[in-house]
Amino acid sequence: MSLELQQLSYQYPATTQGVHALSLSVKKGELVAVIGPSGSGKSTLLKLISGLTTGYSGSIVLNGTDITHLAVHQRNLGMVFQSYALFPHLNVLDNIAYGLKLRSVSTSERHARAMELLGMIDMRDFAQRSVSQLSGGQQQRVALARALAINPSALLLDEPLAALDASIRGHLRDQICKLQRKYEATTLLITHDQEEALSMADRVAMLKDGRLLQLATPQEIYAAPASKAVAEFVGLSTILSAQICGADEIDVGFARLRAPTDRRTVGKKLFALIRPEHVQVDPDASAINRLHGQTTAVRFLGALNRFDFSVPGSEKAILAEAARVAREAIAIAPEHIRLLDE
Amino acid sequence: MIRGVAVVYAIYLMLPIALLLVGSFGGLWTNTLLPTGVTTRWYADLWEDTSFRKAFVSSLTVAGAACAINIFLAVPLAYSLYHGAHRRGSLAAKIVSAMPVAVPTITLGFGYMIVFNTDAMPWLGSLPLLIAAHAIHTLPYLTNTLLADLRHLRLDQLESAAATLGASGWQQFYSIVLPNLRQSLLSGLVMVAAISVGEFNLSNLLTSFQNRTYPVVLLQAFYGATGFACAATVILLVLASVSALFSSALVKKS
Repeated sequence: MSLELQQLSYQYPATTQGVHALSLSVKKGELVAVIGPSGSGKSTLLKLISGLTTGYSGSIVLNGTDITHLAVHQRNLGMVFQSYALFPHLNVLDNIAYGLKLRSVSTSERHARAMELLGMIDMRDFAQRSVSQLSGGQQQRVALARALAINPSALLLDEPLAALDASIRGHLRDQICKLQRKYEATTLLITHDQEEALSMADRVAMLKDGRLLQLATPQEIYAAPASKAVAEFVGLSTILSAQICGADEIDVGFARLRAPTDRRTVGKKLFALIRPEHVQVDPDASAINRLHGQTTAVRFLGALNRFDFSVPGSEKAILAEAARVAREAIAIAPEHIRLLDE
Repeated sequence: MIRGVAVVYAIYLMLPIALLLVGSFGGLWTNTLLPTGVTTRWYADLWEDTSFRKAFVSSLTVAGAACAINIFLAVPLAYSLYHGAHRRGSLAAKIVSAMPVAVPTITLGFGYMIVFNTDAMPWLGSLPLLIAAHAIHTLPYLTNTLLADLRHLRLDQLESAAATLGASGWQQFYSIVLPNLRQSLLSGLVMVAAISVGEFNLSNLLTSFQNRTYPVVLLQAFYGATGFACAATVILLVLASVSALFSSALVKKS
C-alpha cells in the first residue's frame, strides 16, 4: 500500500524544464513533503501523478497497481489545489459529496459521509452554506474534506496553504496533519515553504531543476543536508567557501577552522555549513574556532536575537541566533561545522 | 465640468427618444416644433395593422430561432476557444471577439445575396436563410459573454478538481461546466434576442415581402404618417430596452 514513482521523466515542450528520471516512494500513511525553489518541478510532479499532465515516461504504481496509463478520473487520487477550486454552483455539503455522487453512492449515504467529514473539520454548521460565503481557510478545509471523501488511494496537496494568511496557516497545518493521520492517507505535500515541510512531513524530498537531491526525515535533511543546494534551501545557515588545509582543518579565507574533514584530501575545495543556533557568543579566549569581529545587524525575535556577525577579511557575515548578541567574538564547535562537497 | 459633459451627452442621447415618444402620442405634426393634440390612435392603428403584427411575429420567430441555434454553437465554441487559448495563444478567440466590428452586417448581407441567389442554392428571401444570417451575426456576442465567464470562473481549475474526484470529460461538462455557465448563457441569449430584433441591415437585404422583420416594415412606415412611425419605433425601443435591462440585470446577479 504505497505510491511508487519510477524513473519519472517529463519535459515541457521547447524548454529544459520538467522532471528528470525521478524515483520516489511514499509508504502507506506517510506524508512526504516535496520542496524546492520555483521551477524545480515540484508542481509538475504532482500534475504527472494526478494525470492532469500526460506524455511522460517512467511509471507510477499506486498500491501495487500500475496507474501510469490511466486517465485522471480513473486514478482515485484526492487532490487539494492552492486555489481551493471548490465548485461555486454547489453548497458545502454537495461539494464534499461530489466525488461520491460520481461513484453512484446513494444520497443519504453520501450526505452522511460528507457530514462526518464536516465534523472532522469542525464545520458541521456550514453544510448548507454557499462556498462563496466561506473564508479562504474554510474553503481549503472543505477542499480537503472533498478530497478525503472518496477514500483516495493517495492524497496530493498542491501548496494548500500558500494562498492563506500566516495567522491561519499554523492552525490549518495541524488540521491537515490530524486528518492525514486519522485516515492514514498516503500523502504528497508540495510546498515552497521549508518550515511547513519540516513541521508536517514524515520525510522531505528536495527537488531542484527537476531532479531529486535528497529524500530524508526532516531532522536528517536539516542536520545533514546532502549538498549545498539542499542546505541553502532548508533552514537558515551561513555557507562559506572552504579548502582542506590539513587533518581536521579548513581554510575559509579569513581564518583557519577546526572541522571534521573525514578522509578528504588536503587542497580539496568545498563548502562549510554553519547553523545560526550553533554560534557561541563571546566565548572564552581559549575557545576553539574563536573569531573576533563585530555584530552588524540585529533582529529581535522575542526569546532570541538573530544577528549578523562580521569577521574582518570575510565578505560574508556569519548568521547567528542566541539570547545575547555577540559583543566582540564568536566561536563554532568543530563538530558543528558541516562540510559539503561541491 | 465632467458632470456638464455628462448632462450634454445625456440630452443628446435622450432627445431623439423623447421626440419619438412625443410624436407617438401627438396628433398632427407638420412644420411645427411640437405636434398639436394628444392621442393614442397611432398605437391603436399599429395594433390594427396586419403587416406590423406579422412583422412582429417574424422578428420574434427569427430571434427565438437564432437563440436556439446559438445555444448549440456558442457553448461548444466558447468552451473549445477557452481551452485552445492555452495552447495556441488566443488568436482564434481574438478573431471571434473582433468579428462583429470587423465584418459589417452589410458585407455579410451582400455575401449572402451573391451566394444564395444561384440556381444551386436559390434560398434568398427564405426564412431559414434569414435565421441563419441572424445566428451567425449574433454568435460572437454570445460566445464572448460565455468566454468572459469561463475565464472569470477559472473553469480549468474546477475541471481538474472534478477530474481528480472521478469525473470523465462528459461528466465534467454537464455537472460542472454547464451549471456554472447558466447565468451568462441566459444573459447572452437575451442580448442575442435584443440584437436580432433590432437588426436592420441584414434583414433588409435578405427578407422577402412575406417574412419582413419589424425594423424593415418600420422603415416603410416613415413614408406615411409621422405619429404612426413614431409609435412603431417606440414599440421596438421598448422591446430592445427590456431585453437589454434584463440581460444586464442577469449579469449583475452572477
